[in-house]
Amino acid sequence: MVALGAGSYLYNPRGGWAADPIKVGVATDITGPISWGGIPNANIARMVIDDINTSGGLLGRPLQMYLEDTATNEALAVTRVRKLVTQDRVDVVLGGITSSMRNAIKDTIVNRGKTLYIYPQLYEGKECTPYLFCTGPTPAQQCDTFIPWLIRNGGTRFYLPSADYVWPHVLNAYARKTIEQHGGEVVDEEYFPVDHNDYGATVNKIMSNKVNVVFNTTIPPGLAAFFKQLYEAGFNRNGGRLACVYYDENALNITPANEIEGLGSCLDYFKAVNDPAGNKLQAEYSRLYPGSILFTAGSAATGMYRGLKLWEAAVKEAKSVKREDVAKALDHAKIADGPGGGSQFVPGTRHVKMNMYTAVAKGGTFEIVAKSNGPVMPGECG
Amino acid sequence: MIRSASSADTSGRQRRAIPWIEALLLAAFAVLPVLVDDFWVLFATRVLIVGLLALSFDLVWGYAGILSFGQALFFGMAGYSCALLATKLEITSILVLLPAAVVVGFLVALIMNFLILFGKRIPTPIFIALGTLTGSYVVERLARGWSYVGGQNGIPSLPRLTIGSYEIVEGRVFYYAALAILLLVYVGLRWLSRSQFGLVLAGIRLREPRMAFFGYRVQSYKAVAFALGGMIAGLSGCLYAFHEGYVGPGQLGPVLSTQAVLYVLFGGVGTLVGALLGVGIVDLFSYVLSQQWETGWPIVLGLLLLVVVMFRPKGLIGFLVPERERVGSFGSRSLIGKRQPPVGATDPLRP
Amino acid sequence: MSVVPFVFDVLAYGAIFVLVALGLGVIASMMGIFNFAHGELVLLGAYTVYLLEQRSVPSWAGMICAPIVVGGIGLLLERTVIRRFYAAPVVAMLGTYAIGLALREGVRGLLGGQFYSVTAPLVGSYTLGDVSISKWRSAVIVITALVMAACWLLLVRTRSGLQVRAALENPALARASGISTDRVYALTFALGSALAGLAGGLMVPIYSISADMGVPFLIKSFLAVMLGGTAGFEGAMAGAAFVGGSSAALPWFIKPVVADLLVFVIAIAVMKVRPQGLLSRGGT
Repeated sequence: MVALGAGSYLYNPRGGWAADPIKVGVATDITGPISWGGIPNANIARMVIDDINTSGGLLGRPLQMYLEDTATNEALAVTRVRKLVTQDRVDVVLGGITSSMRNAIKDTIVNRGKTLYIYPQLYEGKECTPYLFCTGPTPAQQCDTFIPWLIRNGGTRFYLPSADYVWPHVLNAYARKTIEQHGGEVVDEEYFPVDHNDYGATVNKIMSNKVNVVFNTTIPPGLAAFFKQLYEAGFNRNGGRLACVYYDENALNITPANEIEGLGSCLDYFKAVNDPAGNKLQAEYSRLYPGSILFTAGSAATGMYRGLKLWEAAVKEAKSVKREDVAKALDHAKIADGPGGGSQFVPGTRHVKMNMYTAVAKGGTFEIVAKSNGPVMPGECG
Repeated sequence: MIRSASSADTSGRQRRAIPWIEALLLAAFAVLPVLVDDFWVLFATRVLIVGLLALSFDLVWGYAGILSFGQALFFGMAGYSCALLATKLEITSILVLLPAAVVVGFLVALIMNFLILFGKRIPTPIFIALGTLTGSYVVERLARGWSYVGGQNGIPSLPRLTIGSYEIVEGRVFYYAALAILLLVYVGLRWLSRSQFGLVLAGIRLREPRMAFFGYRVQSYKAVAFALGGMIAGLSGCLYAFHEGYVGPGQLGPVLSTQAVLYVLFGGVGTLVGALLGVGIVDLFSYVLSQQWETGWPIVLGLLLLVVVMFRPKGLIGFLVPERERVGSFGSRSLIGKRQPPVGATDPLRP
Repeated sequence: MSVVPFVFDVLAYGAIFVLVALGLGVIASMMGIFNFAHGELVLLGAYTVYLLEQRSVPSWAGMICAPIVVGGIGLLLERTVIRRFYAAPVVAMLGTYAIGLALREGVRGLLGGQFYSVTAPLVGSYTLGDVSISKWRSAVIVITALVMAACWLLLVRTRSGLQVRAALENPALARASGISTDRVYALTFALGSALAGLAGGLMVPIYSISADMGVPFLIKSFLAVMLGGTAGFEGAMAGAAFVGGSSAALPWFIKPVVADLLVFVIAIAVMKVRPQGLLSRGGT
């Protein structure tokens, strides 16, 4: 049912503070089909904000977190986000996971609400709205190193099965370009409704055309059926390689491990990267939220971390929370450390350059097989 | 000929409750923006706009006896059309967009009429219900898959409605605009239900075969009512899209359509004001509920609606308004209590 | 185009769909009630199997429990809630929608909004030449065929079946003959729910479980029932076979998004041309 307001939570800073708080708004899907992403986002935001408060706050002021549940429901989300910017009057909004959610709420935040908006999830690119900053990987970052690796470790014949909405369409266009640049070929590109569950025809085409790499952009719920039917037709057995750029440790639960053995993914962080900053975050996260959904890159949790820390750095530099001042500083903000490494906004683009890692699913966990040579450029809004 | 509706108060001393409820509601809505803060003004504006949608359903079901599970189809299509006009052709004048929305609603209703209402045989209520539901579902799927209208994402960042160079900002201005439009439509519908047309509809709803024997072209009357419902729903859809600043496939689909049905059922069918009450109370209740229980509140809402449907199918208004006053009833009959034969039984009009 | 995978695919999907639609169809033909919660009954069947697997019960055992559990839930629903709607089937749709909403959100809360997979009782595939056929999906086809046969036998050969058919044809006369339509309705609803539960249990290894898994089935099942017409059991089967078969077959030839829509368009067209459905009365 569509309801209005609420699903909202206020996290007050602990301890006594003299100064009045800086308000941080987080709008993410805590309930609904995308809750596997929203929950770690909300968790990591609370963790980071608590950390900042414990270390003395920001500009001597504590951070107060307003959390709104966008419930994977765009209509509802608009109302709740409106509450954040008009009633709670937050100084910044971080959130949105799917592109449809981002598109639904960005206008309310940036134009009507005149507030800064930081979007933390991997997406299709081409988001160049002023005052909208993206801290998740872009197609360039996910494909530029990944596709050549796939060609070397899979083959040249690609198939692009996709969910029918904006992210796969735009990502596929970029992927196709990169595939052809490196000597591969795209056998076919197909689009399905997200709840489609009968892939017999597609699987048959993949097998009979001797496809080497299935570059998948279908999403749950259809995804599980697709991978299973592909496995049963013998794709993996015959040496085929699966690839899916949003697959992270949480996604490993969607299908049995044997069906995705060898699946390749390319993200800004995996637990297997084993870097000190990442490990520290994992330890703290599991201590605070045991049994909860894991802290991963596919769920935008790393992007949320990055977004908050970069914003913190920008506010410190600008010495203010006013949108124009912070935006100017955020434009080139940088953090030396983070899960998978540090990151920095590329001036003038509002996108972040960061390390990218290629990993392969082996026996139910991920194993890193390649790492980018330093931070990869986002290639957006240049 | 059927006697005029004012004979409904032949019950003697009984006072009419509906005009009091209407007056109270109007007064409350008129002063609301002055009393509450911005957030609630936006909430109330949404209630007014969605109230129009609920009214359109009350018209087609409560008055014409067409159980349309697809009112959101007109709502969404008008929303999308106006959004396209605004983003591709840069038309934002409310004087152009609202009539456009009404026209779109009308045209879509016309198409639905041909597909569902007209035909070799008179459609059964179940067929109409499922046909409209299917129409809503199919068009939603289409919108989800068509990149020209944004696919799953819909069309974001809609500009504001304008009159001349004045922007209708959401808040008190939009609120009063929506209230004015709602009032206009409401008064129109009230007048219609007491007119000859409304009486014929009432007759059709109670004893369709008899009306046919009298010589009324029953299907035509139903079609007109359905078209009118489509126009009102379209109007609502356009207002909604511009108030929220975005239009998406969810505004077309069965979820919103069924919600319109539930609002009216909750509030009370066949009274017009019941539809508005339903929207206000359900939305308010959902808000309060979601504040108490973040993940599970839809369960409670579902159960509550079930209870209402089971024990109080006449809706909330049944508590306030005696049976006789519901325009949907004359004498002791009403739409909900009517016993309908199970699908398998023989019936002279069924194939 | 390879014939064997195509035929297998159509049969495999059609089988599951027939199980779901049949449950809905029998209830609709008998009592005129379109159960908007039917998709959630499928979900409950799937959830039963999932839950039992979490407690180390093998999935095949779970699949035997699923129809029993969901049939029981259906019976409970019928006794408490559904029976009040017989006088107003139209309101039944709304009441069952509310039930479906509550069930769906309840399971969503229990699942935490995630998607989970269950191991199939038969893992792997048969290889015939260079064609691989999933073992479990083959088993589903066989199981469905057996269940259909059992249902048919139940209706045609047993006393209860006779009562059900009598109540379907002419409730008033059946009551006059001393058949308790109350009990028959309860039995039918339980049976329809059990079929849905079985379908859910059987399909969960193939499609994995999520709170919204029942929704796509719902609308298509309605179509199947409308197409099937008033001929009760045979009609529901015919409608389900048509809708399920075309949903599986069309994507082999045209884009899946278009195929989806085409199924609806064809169904509505058929209903306009033949309002009484594919099979009309006289076929029971």
